[in-house]
Amino acid sequence: MDGISGGDDFAVGCVLTIKTTFGNEFEGQIITYDRPSNILVFQEGLKSNPQSRRNIRLLKANYIKEFSFLGQSEDPLDLKNCYLDLNSLQSKEDAAVRKAEIDVERIGVGVTAEAQSIFDALSKTLPVRWDKTVIVVMNEVRVSSPYLAESVTGGIPAANERVRKVLELERRRLQTRGGGQ
Amino acid sequence: MGTRENRFQPGKSHINRMTTAGVQTGNTGGIESPSHDRLVYITTCFIGHQVEVQVLDGSLFTGIFHATNAEKDFGIILKMARVTKAGSSRGQKNISDSVQKPPSKTLIIPGKELVQIVAKGVPVTRDGLMNDFQNDQLHDIMIDSSISHSRHVDLERELEPWVPDDDNPECPELDNTFVRHWNRGWDQFEANATLFGVKSTFNEELYTTKLDRGPQMRELEKEALRLAREIEGEDTQDLHLAEERGIHLHDKFDVDEETKYSSVYRGVDDSGYDENEDILDPQNCQTYGDVSDSLPNNGSQITSRFSTVGEVQSTHFSTSNDFHPSGALDDPSIIENNQTNQQLAGSNYTKQDTEKHMVYEQNHTSKSEESSFLPNKESTDTGLSATATAFAPTNVSSKAQEKTRSNEVSSTSESGNAAPTAASGPGLSPSSSMGSLTSEKSTLNPHAKEFRLNPNAKSFVPSSPLRAASPVSDASFYYPANVAPAPQMHGMPVGIGMGPAFPSHQPVIFGPQGTPLHSPQTYFHSNGPQYGQQMLLSQPRQVVYMPTYPPEMPYKGRDF
Repeated sequence: MDGISGGDDFAVGCVLTIKTTFGNEFEGQIITYDRPSNILVFQEGLKSNPQSRRNIRLLKANYIKEFSFLGQSEDPLDLKNCYLDLNSLQSKEDAAVRKAEIDVERIGVGVTAEAQSIFDALSKTLPVRWDKTVIVVMNEVRVSSPYLAESVTGGIPAANERVRKVLELERRRLQTRGGGQ
Repeated sequence: MGTRENRFQPGKSHINRMTTAGVQTGNTGGIESPSHDRLVYITTCFIGHQVEVQVLDGSLFTGIFHATNAEKDFGIILKMARVTKAGSSRGQKNISDSVQKPPSKTLIIPGKELVQIVAKGVPVTRDGLMNDFQNDQLHDIMIDSSISHSRHVDLERELEPWVPDDDNPECPELDNTFVRHWNRGWDQFEANATLFGVKSTFNEELYTTKLDRGPQMRELEKEALRLAREIEGEDTQDLHLAEERGIHLHDKFDVDEETKYSSVYRGVDDSGYDENEDILDPQNCQTYGDVSDSLPNNGSQITSRFSTVGEVQSTHFSTSNDFHPSGALDDPSIIENNQTNQQLAGSNYTKQDTEKHMVYEQNHTSKSEESSFLPNKESTDTGLSATATAFAPTNVSSKAQEKTRSNEVSSTSESGNAAPTAASGPGLSPSSSMGSLTSEKSTLNPHAKEFRLNPNAKSFVPSSPLRAASPVSDASFYYPANVAPAPQMHGMPVGIGMGPAFPSHQPVIFGPQGTPLHSPQTYFHSNGPQYGQQMLLSQPRQVVYMPTYPPEMPYKGRDF
């Protein structure tokens, strides 16, 4: 588990099979090795086209349990084609964060998977949000655990009825689907 | 060389160095070594990307890569990260528990905890980055699948083919629809009445030509049935027709349902004109079979066309008197000479049945006869002289054929001719053959039956003095200069405004004793010059009146 010294031995483009101390095994092509941080950068998978996105793996070299040399290939990075647009990266990150936040809203904390799937099913046609472990529909109707038709409370009778119906339908559908699997 | 910073920030200095692709001096693996640059480059590509970080205790964190302090220990900052797999230090928990905690807005992983970072689908090239950016922009457009969050409930069902419930004894088996014969005795109205008490007001004659169920009906019917059987029994390559007729095409091949029943055109479709073309001859056989069976095939388009038309016409003629014979028809040399024919035709207006019969008998056996048929026919029919025949022959003849057919329809019943004994030919349903005559058949029908005059046919005697109606108006008419066509609409009683004169072979159909039933309708044939109107009257009397054309009628046509 000693750090592999002689970082220059890791020539760029080498194809290795690595086994980590955690039991991960993978095969990749070296993009670079950074000695100060002891990080190896691998590119996994085949390059189907030059523009394709790659699967990149950064691994601290001291966690390599064993490796085997498969071959030497060319430099996976085309230095002429390297380009970074910080603005686009920043906006990419912002968009991702936004999306993640939206997703977070959708996932109940401390709820069962069944509850989550009911929530997801309801959210297809009704505006729903989580309130702790209670599904709030249209800001008035509340569906609490165990999320049965009886658990539907609140709201005007029409809305309550509607939510009840949708809930039952979705439950039934989930059951058949679950059974069909 | 930019300032060293603890935190990795998208330092332009580093980036600049990268973009210039400058190779740093010294390859000692220092901070500024190309290797390090590459690392920085790659990790910069991670920004905004979903990554999975494994830490010392084996836990996996998934989140959006935000930053790293590449200068120091390479700590990682993730945004909206959550634990996807808990390591041993936290005990074994299954993934569902991962939703116990909301994701951390920001997660900092120290460098020494870091084991590995995995990122999938990272664009590392310039084009890749641009594409990524564009794709991300597109994601702001809400597509349906993301709106419906279908990924959360995307369980699929195993599809099963539909099987019917227990067969309802009242309903006829769908599968057997084509098994039984068409006239299996099913009366839909009867069934409806018994099942639901619905009284039908259906009157077939509202929708189609009234059948003349007179004494001749039986024979007409027989003939029609024979023709129908012949058509339905025809061999076909079309899958659908074959299935209807019980022919098993491609029996040895596994023809799936889509091929059998889909309406998607996937290959050669032979149900179009090809079939019509094939049918044309058999139709000729049937339609004209009885008319003249000794028509030689002379290969001349004109004459063949004319002959077929002539045959048809002759059937009409059997019922009318106004056949006009062409005395000069005996001369074979006339065939190619339209003008001559016309002249002859024009000059041969006679009104004697016997003459006509005689002429026709004579005409049967020679080509010239056929060619003269048309001119005769047309002129007698319509009052036009054989100039009508001088048109683009195929068009003319096709029109002629069609018109005659429709005439037949209108004049006779759908099932056949008014004079079945004489010419049992045209029992063909008109609609099927209409419009299919555009193919250039240059051969005479060798199987055509001989024309037999029906002496019992009613002869038409116009009740009012013949008067030229409106002049020939059709621009497509082509009159040879020295022809004196008889105006059309002869015999039309006064009062019927027939706008454009009949161009050709349109037998004018009147009620008994020359009373027209109603104004003729205009039928425009798409592929030919417009010939004016086509009479589609259906009469109780299936008689075709051939107006007599006194030769002294002034020429009212247009001079071209």
